[in-house]
This record gives sequence, structure tokens and C-alpha cells, in this order.
Amino acid sequence: MSDEKSRGFFRDNALSLVFGAVFLATLVGQALSGVADFNAQQIADGLEPVSLGEYVTSSSFGVDVMENWQSEYLQFFLYVFGTVWLIQRGSSESKKPGEEGTESDKEQRVGRFAHDDSPTWAKTGGFRTAIYSRSLGLLMGGLFLLTWTASAIAGWAAYNGEQLGQLEDPVSFLGYLGAADFWNRSFQNWQSEMLAVGSMAVFSVYLRQRGSPESKQVGVAHAETGQTG
Amino acid sequence: MRSVRTVFWLYLAVILIGIAYAAALGLMGR
Repeated sequence: MSDEKSRGFFRDNALSLVFGAVFLATLVGQALSGVADFNAQQIADGLEPVSLGEYVTSSSFGVDVMENWQSEYLQFFLYVFGTVWLIQRGSSESKKPGEEGTESDKEQRVGRFAHDDSPTWAKTGGFRTAIYSRSLGLLMGGLFLLTWTASAIAGWAAYNGEQLGQLEDPVSFLGYLGAADFWNRSFQNWQSEMLAVGSMAVFSVYLRQRGSPESKQVGVAHAETGQTG
Repeated sequence: MRSVRTVFWLYLAVILIGIAYAAALGLMGR
């Protein structure tokens, strides 16, 4: 990276910035369609409709956002850790057969094998290098736990709001963790992530996207594993 | 690389603020 010349803030960060902008736009789309859907239910239940401002500050909106976030971070956590140990022959998403595991310090440029421009924590050894060597997976796993917890807390409040609207008893937080609503929301999102990851791993064996680093180069053999364009 | 670092922290900040916001809505019973 150090020998690549910067071409300005926007071009240097185009991928992150475009996805960030589309994220914000689709979040607005979720808020607008979410309040319409929420109000349709309110009216069907004989309750007052809410404003957009009330909706985006409601736990109902909060849980709908968090239940999707948690599954994305679970997906990346499992993918980052899973691809250390599991291979898919022929896949651009996989290491080559026989390379399973955390690999040698030399291959990973760790400790005394670090280069001059290696990250400081890759050079130091000890617990810093041990943590830094797992930092991507740890962050994804940590964000999964945080977003899943947030989805449970917001889901609990939203669930109790519905319960009270229907003149039924609210549940305790622990009660909500055992409720079908919480697990239905969780599994509903997890299943789609697992399917998407598996699809990407296996479809990239035989199919190509010219110019994409997520794909093998168009002319690379199906049997070649871990080749990216 | 400084601009890339800015985007890194921007992403992390947005994510953590989103999590805290959703959790706070739940804790306030909104």
C-alpha cells in the first residue's frame, strides 16, 4: 500500500464511500416503508398511527435494523474464521487444499519474519501479535455479539409494546430471550446469510466476473483454488 | 493512508452509534 500513490480522498475510498452512501439511502427507505407498514398494523389493531419521527425513535425500528446487522456480522465472523480451516476446492473464496490452518510465522510475516512496513503489532510478538493476528475475526465476532444484544433489547421493548397494544401481559427480558419472536427474527436472518456464503463459495468455482477480485480471472481453470482476478 | 484510516474510524463509529442507539431505544422502552 505504501508504494501506491494516493489519487484523492474519493477515489482512494470509493468502495467504502459508495457502499456507505447506499447504506444510508436504503436505511431511509427502510424507515419510510417501515412506518407505513407499522401504521397499517396500528390501524388494523384500532390504535393511533405514528409519525416518521416517532417511528425512527421506536424500538420497533431499532429491532428491525439490528436483527439484520447482527446476522451480517455473524456471517463475516464465521466466514473469516471458517475460511482459516475449511477449503472449497476451485473457489476464489478459498485457500488452496493443504493450506488449512493459521500457517507459519514466515508465511504470515509475523515476529522476526515481519517486514519493515509490517504493522507494529505484527512485529512485536507476544500477546499483541496474538490479538492482532485475530483482530478482524474478533471485531466481527464482537460486533455480532453487540448487535445481537441490541436486537434482543430493542426486540424486547417492541414486543412488549405489541403485547400492551393487544391488552396482553408484557414479558421480562429473560422471558423475551426464550420467546419465539426473538428466535424467529434471529434464525430468519441467519439462514439467508449461511445460504449466501455457501453460494458464493461454490458458484465462484465455475462462474466468473471479469475484473472483480471476488472472482477468478475469466480464463483460470475451474480446478484452481484461491485465484482472484 | 490517512484518508483510509478516517474511513475506517467513520465506519466503526457509525456502527457503534447505531448499536448504542437501538439499545437505548429498547432500554427506554420506546
